[in-house]
Amino acid sequence: MICINNLTKVYKLTRKQMQEQKTKKNMKKAVDQLSLKAVPGEIYGLLGPNGAGKTTVLRCVATLLKPTDGSISVGGIDTLDKSEEIRKKISFLTNEIKLDPQFSAKYMFNFFGRLHGLDEAAINERREYLFNYFGIKGFEDKKIDELSTGMKQKASLAVSLVHDPEIVIFDEPTTGLDIVTARSVTDYLKLLKEEGKTIIISTHIMTEAEKLCDRIGIIIDGRLVMEGTLDEILKDTNTADLEDAFFELYKQNSREEACI
Amino acid sequence: MKNGTKNIIKKELTRVFTDKKLILSLFILPGVLIMVMYSIMGNLIDNMVSDIGDHVPNVYIQNSPEGLEDAIQAAGFKANINYLKASDETASVQDSIKAGDTDLLVVFDENFMDTIYAYSGNGDAIPEVKTFYNPSEEYSSTARDSFVNSALQAFRQTLLAERVGNVEQLQIFYIDKVPESSVVMDEGKATGKSLSMLLPFLINILLFQGAMSLGVDAITGEKERGTLSSMLLSPIKRREIVNGKLISLAILTSLSAVIYVVSVVIGIQNLQGGSMGDISKLRFSPVELVQLLTILLVLVYLFVAVVAFVAVHARTQKEAATYVLPMYIVVMLASIMTMFSGGADKGIKYFALPIYNSCLCIQNLLVGELTIQQYGLTIGTLALLAFLVSALVTKAFNSEKVMFNA
Ligand SMILES: Nc1ncnc2c1ncn2[C@@H]1O[C@H](COP(=O)(O)OP(=O)(O)OP(=O)(O)O)[C@@H](O)[C@H]1O
Ligand SMILES: [Mg+2]
Repeated sequence: MICINNLTKVYKLTRKQMQEQKTKKNMKKAVDQLSLKAVPGEIYGLLGPNGAGKTTVLRCVATLLKPTDGSISVGGIDTLDKSEEIRKKISFLTNEIKLDPQFSAKYMFNFFGRLHGLDEAAINERREYLFNYFGIKGFEDKKIDELSTGMKQKASLAVSLVHDPEIVIFDEPTTGLDIVTARSVTDYLKLLKEEGKTIIISTHIMTEAEKLCDRIGIIIDGRLVMEGTLDEILKDTNTADLEDAFFELYKQNSREEACI
Repeated sequence: MKNGTKNIIKKELTRVFTDKKLILSLFILPGVLIMVMYSIMGNLIDNMVSDIGDHVPNVYIQNSPEGLEDAIQAAGFKANINYLKASDETASVQDSIKAGDTDLLVVFDENFMDTIYAYSGNGDAIPEVKTFYNPSEEYSSTARDSFVNSALQAFRQTLLAERVGNVEQLQIFYIDKVPESSVVMDEGKATGKSLSMLLPFLINILLFQGAMSLGVDAITGEKERGTLSSMLLSPIKRREIVNGKLISLAILTSLSAVIYVVSVVIGIQNLQGGSMGDISKLRFSPVELVQLLTILLVLVYLFVAVVAFVAVHARTQKEAATYVLPMYIVVMLASIMTMFSGGADKGIKYFALPIYNSCLCIQNLLVGELTIQQYGLTIGTLALLAFLVSALVTKAFNSEKVMFNA
């Protein structure tokens, strides 16, 4: 279970960042008063355009960032409280976090298994299972450096699941994957859902949100502008599909760039 | 030690030791370079010394008296000798000495032997031997010293014997009949003295260099590559990650330092009869050995922590290299300062200056004059500083601003 209460995250910008973003303010409010709840046995999808604040929200949930305001509890523990306890329960996948390129997927898997306090037998069993499922077996001994983007992504995925976590936080898990691999990832997420895990993912792919997510939160400019099942969202916006609904909401909520 | 720390140390060491290129660039190449550098330096000095010994001087002798040749032979003075008659011109020979082509001109008075034999007592003439040489030429002054002290001395000795019969009567006393036995020194200490100039400096900069090249890659590099955050996601305390990083870096740095120092020693040993003395003559008592090792250990940890502190705050490896350079210069300056001033007579307060104090300590240790107060103060300040800096590194690891630019 993930509870986000009025989360606000403000980045302090360096002078260089201010120049790059052509702003005079030295603060960037990436997430604004956002609240949501993801419960066991469901896949919650955060849908939003580039720069909406999806990654920021998920990083806060994964204890890597501290909320500027508001609070987050993961599995009943506040993220500011015992972050190690939370990290035991979660899996966090994001494309900025990478595996050491000089090691093989197998070595990395074992290493993180040990950091999670698993014994060798448990690690081996888990590795057999996950490497078979994601088709990593064939290149498990190759250095990460020598793998293709998709292979790397698969390895990261498997490694992030080494400890069979009860809460899964995936930031754009299918980006960069071919449809076959993407399908195996989404299928695995459904499997995890059936096992009663709490799953939250971010995406900007409409069909993925439609097909995979039980509930969808639409985030624009750091604010959660709508939340609900696909049907609820379509009904509320009076549209026929998610893409139309998204554009409708985008028109209403996008502050500066309202002209699109 | 915590399990997380242990696992990280193991991984860090594996990373380095399974990477042939890294081993080559971190350990082997610098080691070989240092060895070659010192060998060449040693050989140059060596060549200079033996070259002078091997050189056969060119000597001109005018009016050579009878019996001189025998004396030269007897004294074992080796030279290319040209004998000149009284009528020969010596100005050109003097020019040649000035130019460094000829080493020595010896001019005996005309009728040298006659004057000597004619001597009968007070007021009679005493003949002169005049030498011309060039003190600015190593070969020339060596030839002159050698000629005067061996050949001429032997020649005079024979003439004296002829004149007074019993030379011993004139000897009155001997000075150092066996010169070797008059040298009284503790070879270990003498070696220590010469080593104590160079070694603390070398140890300091080589240790820092090792920490620098390893630490920037292991911390800024990992941050840049996005692999550090994967570790931040694991359920261990940041303190454990920092410890794992620092300890593995300290191990690798120590190893590189050992390799560098051994390379220096091998390089210097190539210098025959080395001016550095024989390092195997150095003898440490067990206590001194423990003192040396603890100083080095704390020093390594401090260097590693300092480099880590800089590395963790840098965004790119290039930036880290720029930030770490001033530190390197400070370390170098502190070490150079001790090269020219001995440590033993320094007041105790100097041993509270980190880095400078470790140099002083090693100096004093090498000559066997390190007091327990000096040692204690040094270890204390170094350890305290290392602890503070590593606490700052942990703080940086806990900061989202530092780790995620957030
Ligand atoms: N480290 C940072 N420092 C300053 N500003 C940041 C930082 N990280 C993100 N931002 C800003 O915060 C906002 C939200 O970024 P975030 O990465 O959360 O967006 P996102 O929804 O994940 O976008 P995308 O779909 O492109 O991944 C953006 O405007 C971004 O410029
Ligand atoms: Mg993102």
